[in-house]
Amino acid sequence: MSVLIDSILAILAVYLALQCLLAPRLTQTVFIFFAFGLALALAWVRLGAVDVAITEAAIASGFLGVLFLDALRDFSFTAPNKRENLEAVHDPLSRNDTKSLLLPRLALWLGLGLFLLIALEAVWKIPDGGGLTAAAEALLPESGVEHPVTAVLLNFRAYDTWLEIGVILLGLLAIFAVGGIKLYRKPGVAADDPLLRQVILFFTPVLFLFGAFLLYFGKTGPGGAFQAAVLWGAIGILLHLGGRPVFSVIPRWLGQLLLTVGLVFFLVLGFLLMAGGGALFEYPPAHAGVLILIVETLAAISIAAALTAIFANLNQMKKEEPNEIESTN
Amino acid sequence: MIKEVITVILLVVGCFFFLAGTLGVLRFPDLFSRLHALTKADNLGLGFIAAGMALHIASPWAALKIFSIWLFTLLASSTSCYLIARFQREQEQSKNKKERG
Amino acid sequence: MDGFFIIVIVFLLLNIALGLFRVWRGPTVADRLLTTQLFGTTGMAILLVMAGYLKDLTLLNVAITFNVLAVLLVIGLVQVWKKKKGETP
Repeated sequence: MSVLIDSILAILAVYLALQCLLAPRLTQTVFIFFAFGLALALAWVRLGAVDVAITEAAIASGFLGVLFLDALRDFSFTAPNKRENLEAVHDPLSRNDTKSLLLPRLALWLGLGLFLLIALEAVWKIPDGGGLTAAAEALLPESGVEHPVTAVLLNFRAYDTWLEIGVILLGLLAIFAVGGIKLYRKPGVAADDPLLRQVILFFTPVLFLFGAFLLYFGKTGPGGAFQAAVLWGAIGILLHLGGRPVFSVIPRWLGQLLLTVGLVFFLVLGFLLMAGGGALFEYPPAHAGVLILIVETLAAISIAAALTAIFANLNQMKKEEPNEIESTN
Repeated sequence: MIKEVITVILLVVGCFFFLAGTLGVLRFPDLFSRLHALTKADNLGLGFIAAGMALHIASPWAALKIFSIWLFTLLASSTSCYLIARFQREQEQSKNKKERG
Repeated sequence: MDGFFIIVIVFLLLNIALGLFRVWRGPTVADRLLTTQLFGTTGMAILLVMAGYLKDLTLLNVAITFNVLAVLLVIGLVQVWKKKKGETP
């Protein structure tokens, strides 16, 4: 009977993914993407991966939605008299040169087919024993936490998590490199609406508390640093939208410290552990729980700061030179 | 037994309001009436479903969480109704001004 | 009881699928934003029912995540697109 839910979710997810790619207008794409995120979150729940579902819910419905809205505004802003351009953006193959595109198209179809075949084969060959689940479960008492996902992310494979924090920071640096550092500038428009200000004031502590709860709950159940970080990053975005940009209020060194503290602490801890005679990120089992909690908190702060900075910088960046972009079109 | 019957009734009523909200969003002629349909009917539907599930799960902490979900939704939904409506009115006003001038 | 929950979940999923029509049609961006509220509320209801169906209370956390972030998109639209008005010549 529950196969009914699964099949509807599967159809919905694939259909929405196709619509995201094929929708003729960008605004449709953005909001269909939101629905796609919701369908994916529900699908992850059905697959039993609540951790991923929370992350998907937070990133797809919160962070990416706001980023896309910001980007969408720039599209309609930079070309106000070229609205047909915006509509045509999704129809990239104009009719007159279909012949020259035949080869790339063929290559694309072949590549996609190959990819699908590989994916099918991978699904076919899923081991019966559930892969490494048993190994992770067996080492759980030594990891300092009770939830296998958190144990894998922050203890067994802490190296990966450390690099992921670095990747997010690198994304921010790339944005700086492309558009210049506009992070410390105050945005022009403050929230003049009293109701808007009140709702921001109400949701800020709620977001903070729930993020902290998820962070701590990661020890025993689905939750953890990344989920908490997105919620805390949402605080920064809300404050930015309400005209109180975090990074232009606090001193510059504090902002830089917030952005890097997770990465640096992780690194220092790893080297200290190596100096103590272990491998990189081989926590002593007696203190593993406390160490993981500290690392997670600092990592969450760093990721939240990075997400806030990405949004703030992008939001400040594009409204600068509208005329220049328009003339180059 | 009686608990299950109440749960079923609450869920069915909730589903009815969700259907009403969706139909309103699809069928109503302009944004403001669509907003009205969505933000009222759907919240009521969520309230009924939340009540039904809180009764079914029957754990005080879960009930507290479910109740807070409903409360936040009421707050967020009514605020966003107001914000979207005001946004739309401002857009329309500036469009009218442009057309006249 | 489980069969009934499945019917409710499927019904709500179909509700979401119906709502997609408005994303497709919606003449203004505000209309489309409206449907995200619809999806958010319906998604939360689905998650609540699933929490009872799968007997997994951690699903409530997913619902709360949707819940507290739902308002972000609306404030984003209102504040980000408002700036556009003041700047256009």
